[in-house]
Amino acid sequence: MSKQEANAPHPRKEPRLPGPLSLARLEEVFADCTDFSKREVYLHGDRSRRATVCYIDGQARSERLNDYVLRPLAQDPMLASAPEGELFGLMERGALYAHGAKRETEMDPVAFALINGSCALFLEGRDDCLVFPVATEEKRSVGEPENEPALKGARDSFVESLRTNTSLVRRRLRAPELKIREHIVGRQSLTPVDVLWIDGIADPDTVALLEERLDAIDIDGVEAAGNLEEYLVDSGSSLFPLMPFTQRPDRFCQGLLEGRVGLFADGIPLGWLLPGTIDQFFKTGQDRAYHWLVASALSVIRWLCALITLLVPGLYIALVTFHPEAIPPKLALSIVAAKQEVPFSTIFEVLIMLLAFEVIQEAGLRLPGPIGATVSILGGLVVGNAAVEAHIVSPAVLIAVAIAGVAGYTQPSQDFGNALRLWRFLLAILASVGGLTGLALGCTGLIYHLAELESFGVPYLAPFTTGTRVPRGHPSLFRLPLPMMKWRDGPIQTQNRRNQK
Amino acid sequence: MRHARVGGGRPAAPLLAAVTALLLAGCSGLPAAREMGDMALLRTLGVDPSPAGVAVTGSTGPRAKGLQGDGEPALTLAADGASLSGACLAMQGQSDSFVFFGYVDQLLLGEKLAEEGVRPVLDYFSRNAELGLGAQLWLVRSGSAREALSAGGEKGLDSRLETIQNDSKMGIANLTRTAGEVYTDLLELGSAYVPALTPVGEGDAVLAEQGYGILKGDILAGFLEGEAAKGLELLTGGPSADILEIALPEGQVSVKVSSACTKSRLEFQGDAPAKLRLTCKIEARLSEYRERPDGQGLEHLQTALEDRERERMAAALERLRVWGTDCAGLGARAGMLCPARWQAVQDSWPEWFGRVPVEITVEVNLL
Repeated sequence: MSKQEANAPHPRKEPRLPGPLSLARLEEVFADCTDFSKREVYLHGDRSRRATVCYIDGQARSERLNDYVLRPLAQDPMLASAPEGELFGLMERGALYAHGAKRETEMDPVAFALINGSCALFLEGRDDCLVFPVATEEKRSVGEPENEPALKGARDSFVESLRTNTSLVRRRLRAPELKIREHIVGRQSLTPVDVLWIDGIADPDTVALLEERLDAIDIDGVEAAGNLEEYLVDSGSSLFPLMPFTQRPDRFCQGLLEGRVGLFADGIPLGWLLPGTIDQFFKTGQDRAYHWLVASALSVIRWLCALITLLVPGLYIALVTFHPEAIPPKLALSIVAAKQEVPFSTIFEVLIMLLAFEVIQEAGLRLPGPIGATVSILGGLVVGNAAVEAHIVSPAVLIAVAIAGVAGYTQPSQDFGNALRLWRFLLAILASVGGLTGLALGCTGLIYHLAELESFGVPYLAPFTTGTRVPRGHPSLFRLPLPMMKWRDGPIQTQNRRNQK
Repeated sequence: MRHARVGGGRPAAPLLAAVTALLLAGCSGLPAAREMGDMALLRTLGVDPSPAGVAVTGSTGPRAKGLQGDGEPALTLAADGASLSGACLAMQGQSDSFVFFGYVDQLLLGEKLAEEGVRPVLDYFSRNAELGLGAQLWLVRSGSAREALSAGGEKGLDSRLETIQNDSKMGIANLTRTAGEVYTDLLELGSAYVPALTPVGEGDAVLAEQGYGILKGDILAGFLEGEAAKGLELLTGGPSADILEIALPEGQVSVKVSSACTKSRLEFQGDAPAKLRLTCKIEARLSEYRERPDGQGLEHLQTALEDRERERMAAALERLRVWGTDCAGLGARAGMLCPARWQAVQDSWPEWFGRVPVEITVEVNLL
């Protein structure tokens, strides 16, 4: 075998467990699996009629297994008297009390059903089996969304359980047009991933494209959000997030109502909404809860803060180092006074302070809450103040970097905020090289980059462009009164663009 | 099926845009970095003639140092050179800091320089990227700019000049003018007025307002002061706050002039200007009185005010007509009502301005 062949991905096996189904083969498949269990039962004490129940310990709920499967097997006299050929039929149609029963003849579905918490019932002398769902429902309870706190609105948030998440959505959108289609992603994890959309509102092309890309994913497992995001987006090299997500079911449902397509993955407590346009990352779940003027003002502030966090360090470097004449005289005099005893260049000062800001933030995040806060206070206040007093940095630099940093925290999307943080460094470096010219070139490059991004066929800057060729009903910077927001913004093609009378 | 990216396959486009932007910005290279910490920011610049050519004096004004802003005396630099740029370069060598001219917002011109011509200075300011024409322009009467700057002592002059400038905006000091405004007037009207200052007192002298210097071409024609200076302010439509004391039978009354607006109109006989009509509307307010005048007393007051202001305007006009300097732009403003006829006399207007009869009407509105 050549090296290239050895490094090539192994082809998927279909079926994964070939060969005929039998209890012996099932035991062989789960050999060396200490949590694999089986129990032999005489049907109503009849030693000539023996059934074997297999399950995975920890996946199946013992009460359900005992009450709905084992107890009827041991106590129902009908199972001892019925002809052997009819036993499976009786069990499948109600002799056992589980809410579902399915006869299986292949190895694959039985193995996967056991892993998902079902039990498999084999009768002596038969190679097929009955599968009963008795899965345990141990999971984290629905709590408050920590990343998107609600001051005026619902306080539930998505959890790791996929079915709980779909139920949270279904409870809010009771229309039968809400469709949920499941895909399995990951060779080893076999993670269920659900695509949700409202039929007749969402763009069917987006649904089809998403499902096509999901089916094309061939990875070992879905352990993190990136396992889906990086395979689904159009441009993986961009820092800017293309798949907005939320922890809040109300916001997720709002996205579906706008015509977006939802995506859940089992084990990941959030839902994605597609396609993702830039305005989505500036919206919060509270926008529709507040008065429209307040929400609009806050929205404008968030956009403004994005510019501040992006431009302030670069602008400071450009003005102080290359274009001091553009600074108001009194401010220039105080900058000169404070800068006189600082040994470092402005460029070095700003870049080091930006780096220090990131270090302090990272240290605060990695430590447990109270210690993290202490580190932030020590790093931000004590060290910052000491550095200024020791003339290591000038106060103006500290203020510029702090303003840029704090403005970045106003971004509702952490992913978008992270992109701005890295671009902030890039723009600061460009300003260090070319002053305002460098900064302007950097901004031009940023706009060019944003303009070439697409999310599932929709331009990333769609709110500000006519790239979709669909007129938008309302501006993106402001939240108009809800009676005036009559048009869905999500899909390109929809049969139902108007959302109210 | 993956959707094609909009900008896919065009990696050269951003590079092309960057190069275009650099060329459009006039960049043949990257700008030079300069730390502000080692800069001396000149705030006031004075220019005088000297045997070598030109004498330039610059002052930083009071400086601060360190976090607490400890006060440091103003840095005053002086250099003579054959040219302005040569003198400015010579000043660089006198300081241990980089002398930065980008913050010069007060420009003092000595009287002698004004007599020789101010255009070379204004030309230099207009062409210099750091200086520009945004600086306030002042004429130093009966002295040189260097003397005036030296008289500022450790405090410098910039705070005093800034105060006059701010007072002017509020209408409580003489009109101020930027170098750009003066230069524009010289180019368009052929004359301009510049506020004049003179150092008063010994030691750390204070600069006092001394009317206006009138430039014809770019040479000083003379000064307007006192009532004539007030008349010029009325002609330009921007009077500084003025208190007029008028004696009435009811007693002395003080009136504060708050605003004025002068409109000019040219009458022609054939293509020749026959008369320049000036209508000045003034708003004034009674500020002090022993007994509030009413009826006939008010009419007397109004007439007295109108006579007084008319005399002021006449006094200013008399001097301006002698010099042939319509620095208030009366002809140009009147010409906007009859552009074709104005175009015919525009070039010879300075001569016409001295000959054409002027009729002044003043209307005072007492509030």
